[in-house]
Amino acid sequence: MILYTTMPQELIFQTASAEYAKQQLVYYDSIPLLVRETETKEYEIVRNLSTNPQHFLQAKYSPGMRILPPR
Amino acid sequence: MNDKGYMTSDSEEKEEKQEENVTTAIQQLGQTNIPQMAQDSNIHCLTIVGQIEGHIQLPPQNKTTKYEHVIPQIVAIEQNPNIEGLLVLLNTVGGDVEAGLAIAEMLASLSKPTVSVVLGGGHSIGVPIAVSCDYSFIVETATMTIHPIRLTGLVIGVPQTFEYLDKMQERVVRFVTKHSNISEEKFKELMFSKGNLTRDIGTNVVGLDAVKYGLIDEVGGVSQAMKKLQELIEFKKGKEGKMLQ
Repeated sequence: MILYTTMPQELIFQTASAEYAKQQLVYYDSIPLLVRETETKEYEIVRNLSTNPQHFLQAKYSPGMRILPPR
Repeated sequence: MNDKGYMTSDSEEKEEKQEENVTTAIQQLGQTNIPQMAQDSNIHCLTIVGQIEGHIQLPPQNKTTKYEHVIPQIVAIEQNPNIEGLLVLLNTVGGDVEAGLAIAEMLASLSKPTVSVVLGGGHSIGVPIAVSCDYSFIVETATMTIHPIRLTGLVIGVPQTFEYLDKMQERVVRFVTKHSNISEEKFKELMFSKGNLTRDIGTNVVGLDAVKYGLIDEVGGVSQAMKKLQELIEFKKGKEGKMLQ
């Protein structure tokens, strides 16, 4: 199918509902983090949502780091 | 001899592990560790980035600020006695009107001193959020787009819909004029002016102009904002001290 438009595809096609489930908000060391589950069943930090600037100075809470899912 | 051999392999292993740790850190973050500060910060920082997400959840590839994340944080900041001030950093394209106004009202009603800095862009519903703080800054290169409320950018056909949107717009106009020095006439003039935005009505206001119109208090970056916030905190402390006497 060819769509003759300059509109980006995400505006035309609906996102699969599975896409929404990939990211979630977790509290890790009582810091709110937006995480994505990886293939190895770990969580990869997408965004640090904390308002405390000190939390951004610690490497273990920075985006890209992996944390283990809460039990 | 056996013992010695064991020792060396052990220390080698340790070294290897350490090196590995550094390389994974660089691979994962593109950065190495930053020295940590011991004490807790008395100033918290709220970043409003990407789209402001409201009732409709946007696909995860969008960068969004969700109001259900931000509002509890503002409540926590109000409640935590160790936090004395809040710095709001804005770089947003706008988004949901109701969600934006909700965040703006929360910030405006916060009892602690708040200072906002517009970086890059504080467009659309980002404008009320920027002016909601006690004092607002804009960096010289940042812009703010002021435009009327719309749903899709299409022509609105039904008078009732128009009235509903007009009322919604009125709320934004009232909030902005109440919390900044801009007059209603000027704000509406910018909102409905033609020829500034390609094929659209509204105005794109750049740093200095935003200050000139009275929308934002001052041109400045993070150091000015922090200084102002400290000043406001000191002022508040002084006032409280007097009230006790």
